[in-house]
Amino acid sequence: MTSWQTLSRRSLGVTAVKSAGIAAPAGVVVARVASGLDWPVEGVVAACAAAAVLVVAGALVLDVLWLRATRWRLTGERLELRSGILHRKHRSVPRERIRSVDLKADPVLRLFGLAAVKVGTGEHASGEHDELTLDPLARQDAEKLRRTLLSLAGGQPPEGSLAELDWAWLRYAPLTVWTVAGGALVAGAAYKPLDALGLNPVKNGLADALWEWITERPWQAVPLLLGLNVLVGLVGAVAVFAEYWGRYRLEREPGRLRLTRGLLTTRSLTLAERRLRGVELVEGLLLRLGGGARVKAVATGLRKKDDEDVDDVSALTPPMPRELAVEVAERICGAPLPALRPRPAAARARRLRRAPAEIAVVAAVAAALDLLWLPSWIWLVAALDVPFSLGYALAEYRALAHGLGERHLVTRYGVAARRTVALDRDGVIGWTVTQSPFQRRLGLITVTATTAAGAGHYDVVDVGAEEGLELAARAVPGLLGPFLTTR
Amino acid sequence: MTALRPPRHRPDPRAVWWWTLQWLVFAAVLAVVAGALWVLLDPWWPAAAGGALTALVLVAAVVAPRAQYRFQRWEVTDQAVYTRKGWLWHTWRVAPMSRVQTVDTEQGPLQRAFGLANVKVTTASAQGAVMIEALDHGLAAELADKLTAITHATPGDAT
Repeated sequence: MTSWQTLSRRSLGVTAVKSAGIAAPAGVVVARVASGLDWPVEGVVAACAAAAVLVVAGALVLDVLWLRATRWRLTGERLELRSGILHRKHRSVPRERIRSVDLKADPVLRLFGLAAVKVGTGEHASGEHDELTLDPLARQDAEKLRRTLLSLAGGQPPEGSLAELDWAWLRYAPLTVWTVAGGALVAGAAYKPLDALGLNPVKNGLADALWEWITERPWQAVPLLLGLNVLVGLVGAVAVFAEYWGRYRLEREPGRLRLTRGLLTTRSLTLAERRLRGVELVEGLLLRLGGGARVKAVATGLRKKDDEDVDDVSALTPPMPRELAVEVAERICGAPLPALRPRPAAARARRLRRAPAEIAVVAAVAAALDLLWLPSWIWLVAALDVPFSLGYALAEYRALAHGLGERHLVTRYGVAARRTVALDRDGVIGWTVTQSPFQRRLGLITVTATTAAGAGHYDVVDVGAEEGLELAARAVPGLLGPFLTTR
Repeated sequence: MTALRPPRHRPDPRAVWWWTLQWLVFAAVLAVVAGALWVLLDPWWPAAAGGALTALVLVAAVVAPRAQYRFQRWEVTDQAVYTRKGWLWHTWRVAPMSRVQTVDTEQGPLQRAFGLANVKVTTASAQGAVMIEALDHGLAAELADKLTAITHATPGDAT
C-alpha cells in the first residue's frame, strides 16, 4: 500500500443524497417567494426544481473536484494525505505516533457502505498535525486501515469484550434531569424553526389561547401539561439513548480500549491505555435511586478542543446496573476496587454546622423579598429550606468516602452526581494538603491528589488529619513520607 | 501522631516589607474610594463603611505579613519540592522531581524594588504550579538552575 490512493468514489452518491436534503428546504423558500409573485403553478414548480437541481449539481461538482484533488498513501513510516482544491495541503503523520484510529459513519454513509476515518496521535499539545481525516473510505478498507495502523494481526479477534449493550438498560435512559425538563426543552428548541416558517405561536395567538385555557381550568390543565412534558421527555431520553448507545460494545485490544456505538450514526473510538489514569463511576441522583451507574475514563489529553468534534471518548459505558458498572470498572483497571471507609463524625458535624448559616442567608433573602414586593408565602419557601439544608448536609457527608487499593486511590463525593474516582497511584503527580481554621479545630484536612488526567486534581475532603496524611503517604511511597513526623 | 513537618527554609526577610507594601497599596485604593464616596454621595454611611474597611486593611497590613512570614516555608530535596503557605488557610504542596515539566523564576515590579523573586515549578496538572515565593533574587536564580539540573537527571515522563 505505498502508492497514492483516492478516497471512495461512492462519496458522490453521499453528496447527492445530502445535497438533495439541503435542496428541499431551498425549494420551499423559492416556492414561498414565487407564490408571493403571483406566478402560474407550472412556473413555481419549475423554479423549485431548478433551484434543487442547481444545489445538487453545485455540490456534486465541488465533490468531484475534491475527490480529484485528494490522495492518500501509507508507507512503511508515515501516513500521508494531500488535499485541497485551491489551497493545497500536505499532511503527514509518523506511524509510530498514531494512537487512535476512529471510524464514523452517519446513516447516508452507511447506506453506501462507507466510513470516515480519523487518525490521531493523541498529542494535542503538539499543535495542528495531530490528526488526519480520510472521508470517506469503503467500510472494509477503513476497517483494514485501522487494523494495519494499530498493528493488529489481520482477522485476529480482540482480546476480550468488556461490555456489550443489553437493551434492558433502556430503563435507565429516562433517569436524568433532561426527562423532567423534557417537553419545555423541545418547545424551546422548536420555537426558532417555527418562527422562521412564519408559525410564531406567540404572534398567532396560540400561546394566548393556551394561557387562557390554563387560567380557566388550572386543575385539569396543569397536571395534563406536566404529564405531557414528562412524556415528551421520556420519549426523547429513550430516543437519545437508543441512538447514542445502540450497538454499544467495549473491547480491550492490545494496549487500548475500543468503543463502538451508535444506532444510526455508528462510531468506533479508541483510547490508548497509555493515556488511562483510572476510571470514574458516575451516579446521577435519579440514576442512583434507580440502581444504575455509568463508567467514565480518567485519561490524559481528553480535554475538549475547539472543533465540532463532540465524540466523547471518556464515556465508556451507557447507564447500566450498578454492580455491572463496578465490574466493568474493575476489569478496565485490572484490579479490584478497595472497600471504602467513611469520614470521621467531625466531617458530618462540620456540614451540619454550616447548614444554619445557609438557612440564615435564605431567611434574610426571604425577609428582603417580603419587604419589597413578594407576598408572604415566600416564607414557606424559607421554611422548606430548613429540612432541605439539613438533609443535603447529611447526604453530602454520606457520599464522602475513600479507600486505597493495590493500584488505585479511590475517593467518592457528590450528591447531585455521586462520583467514585479510582485514580491510578502511578498517575499521582503531586499532593496538596489544605486546612482551614474550621478544619483545624475539628482535626480535619483536605488531601488533594494532583494528576495530568481528567479533572487535574481529585480531593479527599474533610478526612481525619492523621488518616489523610497516612493515606497519601501509602498511596505514593516516598513522596509525602519524607515530610511527615510522628510527634 | 503523624503530622506534616515544616519545610526547612524561610522566605527572605524582605518579604515582610513586600507584603506590607501590597497591603498598603490596597489600603490606599480603598481610602481613595472612601474619599470619593464622601465627596459624591449625600448619605454619610457609605463613606464611613469605606473608612472602616480602610482601617481594617491597615491593621491587616501590620498583622498579616508577619503571620505569613512565620508560617511560609519551602524546601527542595533530590526527590521533591515541598512548600507551606497561608496563615489562616494552610496549604502544603509536594511535587516530585520526576514529574516537573518546567522551572521558571518570576519577579513583579514591587518585588524588583525589594530584590526578591519567585521560583515557579510547573507539573502537568491542572492544579497549577508550585510556587516558592519571595526569595532573594540571586538565590532564586541559583535554585532554579539547581532544580533544572535535578529534573534533567531524574527519569520520568512528567505525566
